[in-house]
Amino acid sequence: MSVYGPSLSNSARAVACLITLLCQPGMAPWAAELPGLDKTFQVHGFLTQGYVKTTENSFFGDSEDGSLEFRELGINASHRLTPAIMASAQLLSRRAGEMYDGSLDLDFAQLDYAFQMDEWNRAGIILGRSKNPLGLYNDTRDVAATRPGIFMPQAIYWDRVRNMVLSTDGGQVYGDSQFGNHLFRLQLFTGKTPIDENVENTYLGAGFDPKLDQDGITVGGRLLYEWDGGRLKLALSSASLTLEGGSNVLPTGTIDIDYRVASAQYNSGPWSLTSEYMQEPLDYSGFGGYMEPADTTVDGYYLQGSYRLREDWELLARYEESHYDKHDKDGTKSSARLGPAPHNFFSKVWTLGLLWEPTEHLMLRTEFSQVEGTIFLSVLENPRPSLNEPNWNLFSILVSYSF
Amino acid sequence: MKIAYYAFAVGLLLCLCGTAQSVDLVINPDVSQEAVSRNTLRSIFSMRMTRWPDGTPIHVFVMGDKTNLHADFSKQILGVFPHQLRRAWNRQIYSGMGQAPTKVESEAEMREQVEKTPGAIGYLSKENINERVRTISVE
Repeated sequence: MSVYGPSLSNSARAVACLITLLCQPGMAPWAAELPGLDKTFQVHGFLTQGYVKTTENSFFGDSEDGSLEFRELGINASHRLTPAIMASAQLLSRRAGEMYDGSLDLDFAQLDYAFQMDEWNRAGIILGRSKNPLGLYNDTRDVAATRPGIFMPQAIYWDRVRNMVLSTDGGQVYGDSQFGNHLFRLQLFTGKTPIDENVENTYLGAGFDPKLDQDGITVGGRLLYEWDGGRLKLALSSASLTLEGGSNVLPTGTIDIDYRVASAQYNSGPWSLTSEYMQEPLDYSGFGGYMEPADTTVDGYYLQGSYRLREDWELLARYEESHYDKHDKDGTKSSARLGPAPHNFFSKVWTLGLLWEPTEHLMLRTEFSQVEGTIFLSVLENPRPSLNEPNWNLFSILVSYSF
Repeated sequence: MKIAYYAFAVGLLLCLCGTAQSVDLVINPDVSQEAVSRNTLRSIFSMRMTRWPDGTPIHVFVMGDKTNLHADFSKQILGVFPHQLRRAWNRQIYSGMGQAPTKVESEAEMREQVEKTPGAIGYLSKENINERVRTISVE
């Protein structure tokens, strides 16, 4: 099931197709620039394979038995027509257990025109399907080489509702201004957001054939501040949208969703310290009044430190916490109101990880996480919340090649 | 015995000096720019600034991430680690917001590419600079 235009129902076909593309002689990394196009046409791609093992519960596949159902393949092409105009598009196949089946999606396809560019300022407009700049990582969340770990911190970048904030079919305007050592960058986007069944199941519950469509358009943006070439980064991001629909047992209604992220990162030599906080108010209207108890403000944060041991080894430690209701950190009130046990309404995750980049194109990661709570587990993978185990461990390995 | 200590001290000193390679920014001789600020250089090498003030397209050339020259250039002139620069490029490449710099395999190739590509910018160690490329100072 894919919301991104024509979809190949068979994920194996999509994967075979992408691998064929990646292996074309003319598209191999050493020939990523085609002769005659004056270095302005480029082809890049990535292949990522993960292994996930959990002591309990399912995450990215049937992970209690060890899952290999975590695979990301992407290929893109870009052509800089003039210094100010660039066209680019990317195809993506993402397999993530029961959440994403690996069908081939158009990840982005856009035309970027920078109508103003000098040493201090840059401003432009982007038209087409573009990735939403939210938080520090959303626009490249499916690319292992840019992620802060094997999985995105689920407290901010939920995989179970990834499509709600992934991309927009519409337009984006951006502006950068440099004042000495201070850089300010503003990006604003608007358009239609592709909604998928992960979003439908999360907001209306699985099992009763929920259907949601977007009512109106998404409006969002990010303001980023960078000091000293990125030594310090601070950002505020936000996106708002309204979903409309119902299910077999619910009359129609609407859900107003706001997604807000505050981000901070400090890089000093081999050290990097990152923290992000997310708040997501949900407001249900209609649905015969049945969904009103679900009105809440979801929130979450993480704190991550990483240390570059040598030029190609890095250690990371992360703590993250998510709450279905920001005023109910242990889930007891939400449990009393909505039914499932309290651990379904929060998560606390400790993660330790090791990264090795033997070449600039190849990365290997391994991570161990200790988890309390199950809020970020997908109902597609864990259909009966009453059977979710509150305390569980997660071990994962990832190999990624990018060019 | 004393001589051995001196030899060790001199050797250590040579080793320490040897690791700090001096690297210079070089541009195609037709580029009119005389000097460049560190912030502008960061915009150029993070592939956000894509043309010179006179309108010529900028072409960025780099050596591999693991070469000493690239590490020295990144840390000494841009003030970032090579892996941080790589991530900045990856964030642009895989979100459609920018392109990657062109990688060269040797300093000879760097010199040749910067010489023949209009708008080119790159870097070389002092001993590999000749009159066919122009050095540019960082303000």
